[in-house]
Amino acid sequence: MTAHGDTHEHHEPGLQHQFEDMHQQEESVSIGMWAFLAQEIMFFGGLFTAYLVFRWRFPMAFAAGSNHLDEFMGGLNTLVLIVSSLTMALTVYYAQKGNRTLQVVMIVLTMLFGATFLGVKAIEYTDKYNHGLVPVTGWNKKVKEDVSAPHVTEQDCTQVGHGDGDDHYVNPKGEFQWKDCSLVKLAQDHNYLTEDEKIGYFTNGEIDANKFRDKVRLFYYIYFVMTGLHALHMIIGLGVMLWLLWKAWIGTFGPKYYAPVEISGLYWHFVDIVWIFLFPLLYLLGRHFLH
Amino acid sequence: MQEVSAISGNSVPADEPKLNYINNGHTLKSWLLTKDHKRIALMYLVSVSAFFLMGGIYAGFIRLELLTPASDLLETATYNKVFTQHGILMVFFFLIPAIPAILGNFLLPLMIGAKDLALPRINLLSLYIYWIGGIITLWALMQGGVDTGWTFYTPYSTTFSNSYVMAVGIGVFINGFSSILTGLNFIVSIHTMRAPGMTWFRLPLFVWAHYATSLVMILGTPVVAITILLVAIERFARIGIFDPAIGGDPILFQHLFWFYSHPAVYIMILPGMGVISEVIAGFSRKRIFGYEFVAFSSIAIAVFGFLVWGHHMFVSGQSIFAGLVFSFLSMVVAVPSAIKTFNWTATMYKGSISYDTPMLYAIGFLGLFLIGGLTGLFLGSVGLTVHLTDTYFVVAHFHYVMVGGQVIAYLAGIHYWWPKMTGRMYSEFWGKISAMLIFVGFNLTFFPQFILGYMGMPRRYASYPEELQVLNIFSTAGASVLGFGLVMPVVYLIHSLFYGKKAADNPWMHPGLEWRTSSPPPTENFKEMPVVTWEAYDFGEESGLDLEDARKREAVTI
Ligand SMILES: [Cu+2]
Repeated sequence: MTAHGDTHEHHEPGLQHQFEDMHQQEESVSIGMWAFLAQEIMFFGGLFTAYLVFRWRFPMAFAAGSNHLDEFMGGLNTLVLIVSSLTMALTVYYAQKGNRTLQVVMIVLTMLFGATFLGVKAIEYTDKYNHGLVPVTGWNKKVKEDVSAPHVTEQDCTQVGHGDGDDHYVNPKGEFQWKDCSLVKLAQDHNYLTEDEKIGYFTNGEIDANKFRDKVRLFYYIYFVMTGLHALHMIIGLGVMLWLLWKAWIGTFGPKYYAPVEISGLYWHFVDIVWIFLFPLLYLLGRHFLH
Repeated sequence: MQEVSAISGNSVPADEPKLNYINNGHTLKSWLLTKDHKRIALMYLVSVSAFFLMGGIYAGFIRLELLTPASDLLETATYNKVFTQHGILMVFFFLIPAIPAILGNFLLPLMIGAKDLALPRINLLSLYIYWIGGIITLWALMQGGVDTGWTFYTPYSTTFSNSYVMAVGIGVFINGFSSILTGLNFIVSIHTMRAPGMTWFRLPLFVWAHYATSLVMILGTPVVAITILLVAIERFARIGIFDPAIGGDPILFQHLFWFYSHPAVYIMILPGMGVISEVIAGFSRKRIFGYEFVAFSSIAIAVFGFLVWGHHMFVSGQSIFAGLVFSFLSMVVAVPSAIKTFNWTATMYKGSISYDTPMLYAIGFLGLFLIGGLTGLFLGSVGLTVHLTDTYFVVAHFHYVMVGGQVIAYLAGIHYWWPKMTGRMYSEFWGKISAMLIFVGFNLTFFPQFILGYMGMPRRYASYPEELQVLNIFSTAGASVLGFGLVMPVVYLIHSLFYGKKAADNPWMHPGLEWRTSSPPPTENFKEMPVVTWEAYDFGEESGLDLEDARKREAVTI
């Protein structure tokens, strides 16, 4: 129960008209932020559900797709975000202490880490674009066929190894490309295939490269939607930090008023935590099938 | 008018016009940039009514087309668009925001004794989001509309439909955030903005109902938002998880969609239940029977509502076991609604009932909601539903809940709080006439549809066998009466704005906090912070109501 004082004649800095005192205001914005984060969990929850359903159905396709993500880049980004969470937490700490300089420094650092994350993500996306791993037709780099090059005979897809065929890569329409179904063969030999996979990868009992490609494409679709929405949240987070930087610069926050820093921090940590779930699910699960 | 101001001279001074939220600022800017929850509620009232009108026109076309067995008025493809757009406008742009965004917005701060909602700017933002979502949807409808049904079932919506699914999807997606923000605001406000002495168990049940609604809004809406976004991306990128041709799963869409859209029917009925609790207690002048039960049944509905979505998918190939569990849980979720209905009836028992317009609506609600709820049990049982799925029985069932329940409750609420919102009294005579017309017209429209559905008439078809025509004629005739009944309040309510009697601060002599400030309320809601010392629905002397004055006023106003 919130205790209301008498109506204040003198307004505390940052106290909005609908509130009686700072305590009530802080409690309100903090509950509001938590409710918003609950909403965010359900929002991403729909995507995680979709991921789980299809991972359950087509584990080999997901493992294959997963293997083509750069775990070094993903790991680096995880590290970057964890450190940014630290600097964010320090921002809140210095705001409470009223230390303007260190507050500003920490905000700048947090933003730097956030930007680094997005930069690394951009490099990864570009790599996918160059290798025909964007699931949308026409959104990959278009590579014309080189007529002078020696003609390469179509290989059986189970024979295509990791990294093969880079020197004669052709993709005139910018389509999603996936040639390697060695994992299906492996799983078939070891009797790993799920019921859905036995239907989903095969035509007349033969491994069907196109059908397998479509399942890997599903993985990349989910990968791009999940990381894309996450990146969008990062961009919004950077916008919030910019606003915070300005507010901190003019010395708004101190021991009495730091709620905006605190709830921005909550948001930032939330976006980090989403990544903490995305990284193992997308980059790590299933890697052992090849290594 | 003179008589009223003579008696309540202390509360409504005739000489100097008091500053209230309506006349405090006349510029367009003072409305568009307002942070006042009451002004935002009024702007919602106008916008939501506009969407209701459009949805209603589509409904009119549906009923006219179904007057004859052949598809003659509309081409079948047009008919598909007409019922889809009726559904989308009514569900997303009328039923969901109607009571929370209009009445909830206006009354929640007044009822808990606050100056405003906790997050006024977020509140204004939700209105703008509603407008943006609405405009995008309307634009898409003008470009050619959608024909998927309001449920956007895949893979038709993602792969085959030749209509503006993506644009409408984006409109609905954006609109979802307006309802999320409203829910968020309510939850925060109920937690932190209650006046001194306003404990949780002194809250009006309207507030409890809105708390439960807000939970559903926050936890359910994002799921449908992401789902519809995925449909839009899938259409746009020609790749996605719902397309069975490449290993996607159209049933997954139904799971995700109904995970929200079943709870969403509680977004559409819980606030109505809140209104009914207020009106029935008020016009029976009796503390509501089993306050705690009614309060917690709202929360129970919100929680259990999340566990029953599979009853929309009994025939979509989900496992028999899942079907049985969902069927059982659907029976369970009916219990809290039944508790409410019993308690409302028990509240009226030995109450001193007066049959003012809001009460007429509320009594109508009891009967219609009862039918709507009980036929829901038919549809929730795995066996029977195989016969009834996708027939007019379903259509009749949810219209009994959505229109017979929510729309009637909405009208009850609008009439009940109209004096508070506008400071004017409407004509009781026309109010009563329209309440009765709506009740009769509604039953005439939808009761035949139960029989039609049971006889096997499928929904969503522009034509039907000739032997079903008589009942369809009844239904269309009823729709005309219903439509006429619904236009009447628009006329006499607008009339009352200019020529209506000035309303007293507490025209019904009810104890709620919203009646203890002037009509219309000042911008800051209360002259000074109210301190609550009485229990909810306390019609006795302890609530500080002057009953002698109440009796005198009743003698004058009737
Ligand atoms: Cu349902």
